Amino acid sequence: MLNPKQFAAFALMAVAATGSPAAAQLRVVATTPDLASLAREIGGSTVSATALAKPTEDPHFVDAKPSHIVTLNRADALIEGGAELELGWLPPLLENSRNAKISAGAPGRIVASQGIRMMEIPAAFDRSKGDVHAMGNPHFLIDPLNAKIIARQIASRFSQIDPKSAASYRANLARFNARLDLKVAEWQKQLAPYRGARIVTYHKDFVYFAPRFGLSIVESLEPKPGISPSPAHLASVIRKMKATNAHVILVQPFQNRRTAETVARQTGAAVLNVSQQPGARPNTGTYFDMMDNLVNTLAGALRTQ
Amino acid sequence: MSADLQVVWEVMKWPLAACLLFPPILVYLGLHVVEREVIFVDLALAQVATLGTCVALLMGYHFDDRATFWISLAVTFLGAAFFSWSRSTEKGPVPQEAIIGITFVVAAAGVILLLSRVAGGKEELEHLLTGDILNVTKGAIGQRILVFAALGAFYAAFHQRFVLISSDPERAFASGIRVRLWDFLFYAAFALVVVSFVRLAGVLLTFAYLIVPAVCGTMLAQQWMKRLVIGCAVAAAAGLLGLWTSYQLDLPTGAAIVCASGVLLAIVGVFVSIRRRA
Repeated sequence: MLNPKQFAAFALMAVAATGSPAAAQLRVVATTPDLASLAREIGGSTVSATALAKPTEDPHFVDAKPSHIVTLNRADALIEGGAELELGWLPPLLENSRNAKISAGAPGRIVASQGIRMMEIPAAFDRSKGDVHAMGNPHFLIDPLNAKIIARQIASRFSQIDPKSAASYRANLARFNARLDLKVAEWQKQLAPYRGARIVTYHKDFVYFAPRFGLSIVESLEPKPGISPSPAHLASVIRKMKATNAHVILVQPFQNRRTAETVARQTGAAVLNVSQQPGARPNTGTYFDMMDNLVNTLAGALRTQ
Repeated sequence: MSADLQVVWEVMKWPLAACLLFPPILVYLGLHVVEREVIFVDLALAQVATLGTCVALLMGYHFDDRATFWISLAVTFLGAAFFSWSRSTEKGPVPQEAIIGITFVVAAAGVILLLSRVAGGKEELEHLLTGDILNVTKGAIGQRILVFAALGAFYAAFHQRFVLISSDPERAFASGIRVRLWDFLFYAAFALVVVSFVRLAGVLLTFAYLIVPAVCGTMLAQQWMKRLVIGCAVAAAAGLLGLWTSYQLDLPTGAAIVCASGVLLAIVGVFVSIRRRA
């Protein structure tokens, strides 16, 4: 039996043996591509960031693979969404990766939900209400102002575990914030003409996005988060969409587009393929690209409605 | 051991232990199932076990709660009782395979219905099919080893009787053995194995371990013991090949082992047909 230190030493030797050029970089693992993108914004060339979930995968449910354990074992830092987003798949992987650097409470364990003002925190927790997260809705990174909060936390943690690059992390954070402020103004301007527009989503995954850009979500296709749409619920969605004049349905890659199309046929709505993850849609490698794509797609659809 | 191998070892050692320790009892049961020509009994029972798990999920228990295990086991015992009752000693007009097949599809559809009421049901469904052998823990292996050892002893003690009932129920009945009772005991113990293993490895891998090695053993040998030894060897080889492929190509582990066992079966099949011609 190896203790974790020996294991880490072996793992390092294995990396050295394969001649990885990234040996001097901070190895950051993020659960999802959006968090990995923020890590790259803040880390610049000093970090290498990988995401465990594929951009097209549901962040609630990720298939465990051997490489996940190896990647976690070799990580200097782990960024997770938190608020129980990864509850279904991350804990066993972490247990098997046995890496003290990213154990709970270590400086290398970054929980994005810390410092976020959470929405939809249930008064009483009950699994029969669907996949309601006791700590609130975990899809908060789609509000760019939350990205700022998370970026600040990432920068301070990176500086803590890698003090010699602290100045560069600070500079990168300042640049990220400046760019984000410009972009938020731009995105708000793009969506301003459609203030109050009503939209429908598949899952409750845009609740942080809508109020930031003056949109209102009238309904989700899922009757409760994580529960497949039932005929009766879809009928009520269709009625509601007609009553409120909602003409846009947002669907992410891992959600059932056919359900959305059924509803769209009845309501004349447009089904939009969008994603909250960089890399899921073409040419959306970064958080900024992903947001650009989302805002452009939405604005385009609302314009023609 | 090179450093790279060391990493592989650290990641894969518990899945490997599971793939070497558990299959023998599954292979033994598989031999009985092949003998009885009720191949789909294990798939049906695995599916009934899954249905039991879904009942527990719907009641608000979690996948890993102890209550989930007991509820699943209780439902599977019902299935076992049903199968031992439906296997009548006189050949009726309806073959048992039909009953088993019907049980399987109804249980599978029941799972879909129940999970439509459980948050994250779709993904849970996939999880029940594919299991999570990669993340198996030492504790989970230890618990099951105890259960499997006790059951192994039970089957070993009554091995002759079980073989007689499996291969020649009429003669067993004529010699005064209460076939239906022993059938139930056999299926109940079977249910316990299936429930224990399905929670770890999923329906697909459970079925593959029950059937593929037993079929290989049956193709290659006549005697029970030889078949068991060959079956265990095939199971171990499938485990090793599947785990290695899963690591090298970074594929989901359970499904890789299932496919590896299919490949081994094909190789054995080719070998047997060449031997017949020679």
